[in-house]
Amino acid sequence: MDRSIQVIIVHILIHLGIVFFIFPTSIIDCTKEAHWISILLSFLLHWFLIYIYTKGLSRFEGQNLMDIYLQYGKLLTAIFLLPLFVYLSMLASVTIRAYAETISLVFLSYTPLWATMLLIAIISAFISSLDIHALFRTGVLMGVIFFPLILFVLCMAFQNVDWHYVFPLWSNDFSFLTNPKYMESTFACGFMYLGFIQPSIRYNRKKILWWSITLIPFYLIAVYIPVLTFGEDTAAKFYFPFITAVDTIDITWLMFDRITMFFLLCTVTFFMLFVSLTVWVNTEILKRCLPKTVRTPYIVIALHLLIFISGIKIRDLQEVDFLFDVNAWLHTYNYLVIPFSIYILGWISRRKAATAV
Amino acid sequence: MKTRLLLLKMVLAICCLFILGGCWDNRDINHRSLPIVMGISRVDSMYKVFLMIPESGQDGTKSMLVTRTGQTITEIVDEISSNMESRVDLLHLKVIVFERKYAEEGLADSVSSFIRSREISAKALVAICDEDIGKFFDHLHKETETDQTVLYNFFEKNAGLSPTVAVSRIWEIFRSIHSYTRDIGIPLIRSGTSTIIENAGTAIIQHGRMVGQIPADETLLFNAFNERSAYGRIEVMNHASVIILDNSMKHHVTLKNGAPYIRSQIHLKVSILETRGHPSLDTIKDELESQLTERFRKMIKSMQQHEADILGVGQYFRNKIPREQLAHWRSEYFPRLRVDLVVKTTIQNEGNLKTDNINTRQ
Repeated sequence: MDRSIQVIIVHILIHLGIVFFIFPTSIIDCTKEAHWISILLSFLLHWFLIYIYTKGLSRFEGQNLMDIYLQYGKLLTAIFLLPLFVYLSMLASVTIRAYAETISLVFLSYTPLWATMLLIAIISAFISSLDIHALFRTGVLMGVIFFPLILFVLCMAFQNVDWHYVFPLWSNDFSFLTNPKYMESTFACGFMYLGFIQPSIRYNRKKILWWSITLIPFYLIAVYIPVLTFGEDTAAKFYFPFITAVDTIDITWLMFDRITMFFLLCTVTFFMLFVSLTVWVNTEILKRCLPKTVRTPYIVIALHLLIFISGIKIRDLQEVDFLFDVNAWLHTYNYLVIPFSIYILGWISRRKAATAV
Repeated sequence: MKTRLLLLKMVLAICCLFILGGCWDNRDINHRSLPIVMGISRVDSMYKVFLMIPESGQDGTKSMLVTRTGQTITEIVDEISSNMESRVDLLHLKVIVFERKYAEEGLADSVSSFIRSREISAKALVAICDEDIGKFFDHLHKETETDQTVLYNFFEKNAGLSPTVAVSRIWEIFRSIHSYTRDIGIPLIRSGTSTIIENAGTAIIQHGRMVGQIPADETLLFNAFNERSAYGRIEVMNHASVIILDNSMKHHVTLKNGAPYIRSQIHLKVSILETRGHPSLDTIKDELESQLTERFRKMIKSMQQHEADILGVGQYFRNKIPREQLAHWRSEYFPRLRVDLVVKTTIQNEGNLKTDNINTRQ
């Protein structure tokens, strides 16, 4: 059965869960004017990588990433998947920490961090301990419930914009390409799971590719709302510029005085989905390494414990920043090497098949 | 095995309930004091904070005025908190009033710390008190024994806001402090003789420092320029008085020999309220136009004198002047700015009476 719609919805939701937090900060930090150039460049690069990745995967009907690599030996598998495993675990624990930090900054200022993190970890552990079908069905449900609310907040966020801040529209300054902060912005893209969900969940790669383009407006909004509300110089002063920009929305007839809380409570569910999908991928990798007797829920719980504990061990927001920097390198490695290697392997296997016939 | 796992999951799910309550250092609403108005002044690097806290008791709500002096604002709030039986929570603070003297020294530090701490909403309104702040609060406290939202309603669009009162919020002031091209006007208020509050015009704030002020009728143009509605404002001229029904603005900007030039067109729809004698419609239009143009010219002049661009004219030049140069907008470009205001008036109706002027209707 073709489950493209579920995959598309989950793909959009997990991106919405992360794009409004670190992405605007890093883009505003590394670009002084004409932000759309750097946003679109980063997006196009990732779109191209999804294209390569799914193209390569499509050559191997009904196999997932590990099946493919294992055909070519264990060493190759380790080279490609070990960094991915490390990257995903680190990503999950750093983002969970950053998220908890945001929540405590915005509304739970007296709640200890571990409580917020524990809540996120437990729920995402529960989702990923069920099978992958359940995860994708949950995604659809979340989309139906929360997506309209997010859209509402995003429309309202235009309340205080001053369109003059759009100018200048063009800049010849491309120094952001070499800025390490720019690499951090790439965290707002994640598509590695696409290689793992087949064959249990089948999707049409063309649909995924075209529908992922609908994310562009959200990427632009995430950066442009703070820039248009505050102006470039002021927006660069905030840790979470988008959240602060949402703070300025004034709607007298709404029951919420601060719409930010409303917004965060919606995105936190998407974020839980993101964490559970990330851990699910790691569980799939670990399942192949461990003996068959180890049951999946134990792996899931162990991985979440690991994420939770390392999330607590992070000392402060500076360290979160530092870890994002480190992870940016791993991200670049994984997101360049894996899609291309799959593409090349697909090409080789097709040639082999051709010569065999 | 299966039932055991199910049991484990259920226990976990039930454990979640404990966290979901969010009962962490939770204080119920009856143990919180939620001030609506805060006043701040500074004398010899010591802050003095005034808090107006509504208190509900058996016989309705009463307001309480608490003051304290200290090194920092947070310290003072904390001390007030510890001296009261409930905790002071600034979450719902609606209006912050600064004393004029403090505003002249500079608000940058206070505003940054409000934005930083998040305890005070970034949407809180700001006003400057044009007299001794102690006197102002005593007056406010005496007059508003039962209604605590007087000051808030003064600025509230659906309550008592008039088009001659500027509205500024904490985040807007923060933005203006860090902006190249935009300063801000903060409403000036003082205690009135017959009304509780009196509008005293608008303070010109440059880089968070009050440098001058413009009178209330110029504030009307300031609001119109910022695309706020001037609806309901009554303009009185020699021969007639009119009420403004609608206003819109258009701007055309150019750089002439490196000097900025802006041609603004304000389009007013008015209705005639009173006439004195028999003025023609054209006379009324002309009078209105020359009155507004003159007023606008005066406002621009006093802004240029203080190098404070409270209209945000610099915003319109963002695509004309490169960013590095724009950093010097206030000092180099703005004083040389030439402004032409064209007032286009449409007299939408003349009330119930015909204005008997056949000559003017061609």
